[in-house]
Amino acid sequence: MTVKVRFFARFRELLGTDIIVSPMEGIVLSDLVKEVAGRNREGYQAIFDEEGVFKEFVILMQNGKRVENSAAGMTLVKDGDEIAVFPPVAGG
Amino acid sequence: MLSERERERYKRQIMLFGDTGQENLKKANIFIAGAGGLGSPVSIYLSVAGVGNLTIVDKDIVDQSNLNRQILHYDRDIGRKKVASAEEKLQAYNPDINIRIIDATLDESNADRLIGNADGIVDAMDNYPTRYLLNGIAQKKKIPLFHGAIRGFYGQATTIIPGKTACLRCLFPSAPPQEVFPVVGATPGVIGTIQTTEVLKYLLGTGELLTNRLLIWDGMAMHMDEISFERNPACISCGTECEASTSRIVASKKEIRRKKK
Repeated sequence: MTVKVRFFARFRELLGTDIIVSPMEGIVLSDLVKEVAGRNREGYQAIFDEEGVFKEFVILMQNGKRVENSAAGMTLVKDGDEIAVFPPVAGG
Repeated sequence: MLSERERERYKRQIMLFGDTGQENLKKANIFIAGAGGLGSPVSIYLSVAGVGNLTIVDKDIVDQSNLNRQILHYDRDIGRKKVASAEEKLQAYNPDINIRIIDATLDESNADRLIGNADGIVDAMDNYPTRYLLNGIAQKKKIPLFHGAIRGFYGQATTIIPGKTACLRCLFPSAPPQEVFPVVGATPGVIGTIQTTEVLKYLLGTGELLTNRLLIWDGMAMHMDEISFERNPACISCGTECEASTSRIVASKKEIRRKKK
């Protein structure tokens, strides 16, 4: 299967964006993001904590729908999915 | 009614939305939370567009390090209250509108009263705790909230219409860590003018609002993306599940009280 992973803002700087990957069937969302983010240490650390858990503020979307970070380990990735990962910005 | 002077001042936009549209702007009352990076372009463009009543809240004093982006304030304003500087500039831009300034920090104790019955709230804040406060009041009073936030060369914006769209908490349930954020002035320029465009469209009842969509501006890659999002039924601010569970808690507390009696 083929999946598109889109990173935004600082995550994009570190990891690039619109990354097309062909993960194994049955992969869950958290593992997919880990796999792609794992290509750059700093990028990985921006998204995951030391235990490999999504940082609280990271926003995950699957085909435009928000996935709770806590549910990402149970959410299956399907062929043609578009996954978005981004940090909200806070300044004004 | 518009005066001759107003009709001349707004001539080029009356071409877009007519006397009626301009009169609607004149009658409107917009609350701007913050007179900083986002608050500057927002308040300037709302002023020159002729939005008749603007309230601006900020507690800060102009600092030299603000001047790379907070274009309401000049070098000569260093040390002055931001709201005093804002009032002077905005009234100079447009003497035909009313500017109300409030030198205060928005918090639980005053926000509801200060917002009053505004027609819209512009989020020009620099932190999520205050954004969540504005979001909560917007939900309670059914006032639209025009969200914007920036960092570095990035920014985001969305428009929240309580009762109709997802709220800020649906999208961002947890605040990102607080920091002294890097920024170049053009970024709040971009996002602030997007927020302003949304306010004007809302007041004019025209166009398509940025509802249930988060616009993400990446100045580095020069990309503008958007992400659709939906209401979260479990949202602690607007969720229906949450309302139900809150009423259940209230009900059970009442029951406890009754039993005690």
